Amino acid sequence: MRRLVQLGQGEKSAIPLLLFLLIGFAAPLLAVIWFSFMPARTFSLFAAPSLANYATIFESTSYISFLWSLGLAAVTVILLALICYPVAYGIVRVFGKWAMLLTLLFTIPLFVSENIRLYGWILFLIKNGVLLGSLKSIFGLELESILFTRTAILLGMVYVYLPFMLFPMTLGISMVPSETRDAAFDLGASRWQVFREIELPLSMPGIVIGFLLTFVLAVGAIAEAKVMGGQRIIPITHDIEIAFTYAQNWPLGAALAVLLMLVVGVLVLLALRRFDLDRFLGRR
Amino acid sequence: MANSSKVSRRNFMQQSALWAAAFAGGGSLLPGVASAAREKELNILCWEGYNSAQVLDPFRSSTGATVKAESLTNDPTMINRLRAGETNVWDLINVNNPWARKVMAPEKLIQPLDKARFEPFFDKMMPAFKAPYKWAMDDAGANLLGMAQRFGPYSFVVNTDKVSRATAEDQGWNLWNDPANDKKYGILESDDWNVFCICCIAGFDPFKVHNDEEVAKFTETAKRVFKGAKLVGDIATMNQSMIAGEIDFHLTGGTYSASPARADGHPEIRGVTPKSGPMEGGKGGISWIEITSQVNNPQLSPLASDFLEYVQSPEMSHKVAFAEGTFNPVAQMGNPECFKLFTKEELDAIQWDSLEEEMARSAEYDIVPDYDKLLDIMTAAKREASGG
Repeated sequence: MRRLVQLGQGEKSAIPLLLFLLIGFAAPLLAVIWFSFMPARTFSLFAAPSLANYATIFESTSYISFLWSLGLAAVTVILLALICYPVAYGIVRVFGKWAMLLTLLFTIPLFVSENIRLYGWILFLIKNGVLLGSLKSIFGLELESILFTRTAILLGMVYVYLPFMLFPMTLGISMVPSETRDAAFDLGASRWQVFREIELPLSMPGIVIGFLLTFVLAVGAIAEAKVMGGQRIIPITHDIEIAFTYAQNWPLGAALAVLLMLVVGVLVLLALRRFDLDRFLGRR
Repeated sequence: MANSSKVSRRNFMQQSALWAAAFAGGGSLLPGVASAAREKELNILCWEGYNSAQVLDPFRSSTGATVKAESLTNDPTMINRLRAGETNVWDLINVNNPWARKVMAPEKLIQPLDKARFEPFFDKMMPAFKAPYKWAMDDAGANLLGMAQRFGPYSFVVNTDKVSRATAEDQGWNLWNDPANDKKYGILESDDWNVFCICCIAGFDPFKVHNDEEVAKFTETAKRVFKGAKLVGDIATMNQSMIAGEIDFHLTGGTYSASPARADGHPEIRGVTPKSGPMEGGKGGISWIEITSQVNNPQLSPLASDFLEYVQSPEMSHKVAFAEGTFNPVAQMGNPECFKLFTKEELDAIQWDSLEEEMARSAEYDIVPDYDKLLDIMTAAKREASGG
């Protein structure tokens, strides 16, 4: 009580919001962490905690799923960087009045559910579907479908996460002052030098945010491997889903989720140590 | 401004006390409120179909009730929702046959129905469902635990343009033991049923405890079957892939999964029940029968039993059979008033021509005693198939 009296008006007013955050954000996360220490296949949070679920994971082949998730996310980020930088550059510097239309075209698909978009790809790519069926009837070409392969999964991931790389990059490139570029050109820099020494470093905040955002989202991807990959690959998120559904092994699912959070958290922290966002954003 | 937003200690304590009283009072006050509110509220946990507007809307408008239905596509998840404490949320649960009698009743997750009110409905059902119907009763045969409605054979599905029905019925589960069929088949994302199918492919009955030799055979078979699959996916993907020619057949499947494609003008997509197999009595296939039960909810909605009675009518039974999603035979087709509502196209979609013989060749879905172990082995096999 005495402590409460000492709280300032601001702190007191913040109490409801803090409680809301504690209940709505921290509590479920803590519950998942605590659940991971419960005995396998229990639904109670009150059993004696142990590390058995983690031992099960390390003894199993779950590493395959972790590696697929991390590997696919890394390749997706690289592909998206290569695809998005020129497009973002075009939107900011080249396309002029068409830039808005292009931005809209990249934004509109976000209003449609991811699953529906992926099923659209199935109809497009499936044997005798829109693409292969048309090639067959028009040119007599009989090609194998890429559906249900790793290539199809990557295509799905690149397609779904493209806006999350493109828009931060567009922002990053738009942060590069035209005067700095002009000055570099006036001083005799080549196009390559301007790109390497001016545009790339100054647009780095957008690039890094795009990398991080896309990587974190892509590590959590599940629908692309399930729908377009025909489950030829089981990412870690699918393993977690199986644990929580068919296996009804919530503690194991929780332990997998905690490990995924740890792995992604460590990787993101390492990236942030390498690329200091505050410095990029000019805060120090 | 400062005055109007000022939070004095006294104000703060008063407000906190009010909120605390509201929460504390919840323990004694809210159930009363909830109970009164539940007169016009019904919550249903079910397989898809019972949650469709065609089934629910007439009930909503005739009772003025708020009816919520959540659809899930596997039994263990639904049962465990009740085990995890959701018995105070749901009024009705609709799962496959063994769960009411063997799991939910012994664990007191469901409560019996009024026998006098509901047993007469079984007499109007197809002959196999006449009272006392095994899966609707408890072990002692005293209590009625639920109502039967949708059912069907569920083994595998073939595109008969690629593999004839006769070949598929004769070869049965050995279709998956023939290396020539690698990458010609898909696997439905239905992991509990896939455990049954892998047991059948391995040559033993799924619904018993398995010895070490059988577990080793299961492990080898699961690895081989998943490695040889072209894809694993949902019903829509399986049907689409068979129609497009990506695959020729898939497990697990039957009337339930093939009917949407058949209703859409693809009679070549057909659920098949093998002529013989490893199940008791040499039966080759597996069938399911849904049982809908009243949840042991401390404040069970009075509408739960009304809804169960409502879906027994010929019109509603027909709607349940052909609700959105999948199409299935219903036990109420034994009543000529219900049967006459089905068109020829609808009967073709649910393979009425072979329903009786397929059910006769099928063992009824049962609990797999070592399901957890077999599922873990199968999940690992699926994961390892993606590793190479």
